Amino acid sequence: MEIIKFVRELKEGRVEGEITKTIFVSLATSLIIFAVVYYFRLRSIEGFFDKYGFYLFFSFLSYAVIIPSVRQVRSFKEFPCMTGMMIGMTIGMISGFLSGFYIGATNGMFWGSVFGMSVGILFGTWNGKCCGAMGFMEGIMAGFMGGLMGAMTAIMMFNDNLKAAGVIVFAVCSVIIFGLNFMIYKETREFERKHKDSTLFTIIWSFILTTATIWLMALGPRSVLLQ
Amino acid sequence: MKSSTIYIIGIIVVILLGGYFFLGNSGQVSGVKPSAGNSGENAQEIVIGMKNYNYYPNTIKVKAGIPVRIRLDSTVVGCFRDFTIREFGIHKYLKTPEESIDFTPTKPGTYTFACSMGMGTGRLIVE
Repeated sequence: MEIIKFVRELKEGRVEGEITKTIFVSLATSLIIFAVVYYFRLRSIEGFFDKYGFYLFFSFLSYAVIIPSVRQVRSFKEFPCMTGMMIGMTIGMISGFLSGFYIGATNGMFWGSVFGMSVGILFGTWNGKCCGAMGFMEGIMAGFMGGLMGAMTAIMMFNDNLKAAGVIVFAVCSVIIFGLNFMIYKETREFERKHKDSTLFTIIWSFILTTATIWLMALGPRSVLLQ
Repeated sequence: MKSSTIYIIGIIVVILLGGYFFLGNSGQVSGVKPSAGNSGENAQEIVIGMKNYNYYPNTIKVKAGIPVRIRLDSTVVGCFRDFTIREFGIHKYLKTPEESIDFTPTKPGTYTFACSMGMGTGRLIVE
């Protein structure tokens, strides 16, 4: 079966083989940045882990799932229209939804939506443009929708089982991203790799996303509901 | 050992370590004592209505250590009747104006009350 071949490929040296390394580097970068910021600034905030620990941790996990896919898409640069649209839509939607959900849970609907849309549209268009205008458009639309939906879902579950929902949302999104990785693998098996991002790419993007998330969650503005 | 295997082990270790530190402390409900429902004559009775698509009044002051009884009058409709005070772990659907939420706040502070979907909000100030 092809999925078994794909799982085997995750252990090899091809593009897919770098996914595990990228996840590890992204997670390690996020946690190191957090440790530094926590030591110098956040430890003075009373009940910090109670309030934000869960959402921060799942944000870091989300970025560790999204960044490898971005890297995988960038390795091949160009895709057929259908594939490119799927890439733009999936990455835009998932990155927007996850970041919107976790920021929405701590900062409210407005800031969750703004952050989710920004991340979703950025990654959606960046990756969707691999097939031209259609993928680009798909990235914008999916990022816009995902960011709004993520924050809205978090707010609507605020007084319900929000943390359990956070775990379920992350699990479902991870499966979708795994599906995207598999789809790209299937589409590009015969293609030559066109671009290779260094580890610095992962570190820089993890740094940007982690810093923005920590700043917004711990020091950013709140909605009425969360004051 | 293959490098990919090392990375997988690394991911598991990082997730376990991160999970231990980040999820080790779960939020505890504090600052409230549940009341049995018959708070007696001393209870601070509060009746909340609805105005401009929000709870009215939406700022309520109560005294710490004295039982509080909250009711929603008949102007409150829809999901607004699903009343929550998250910090106190209170969540109850008040089907009729006669039903009430009874509790005794023990810790002074400002707490947010809301409907279950956060569409209506207000502040409960415990002095």
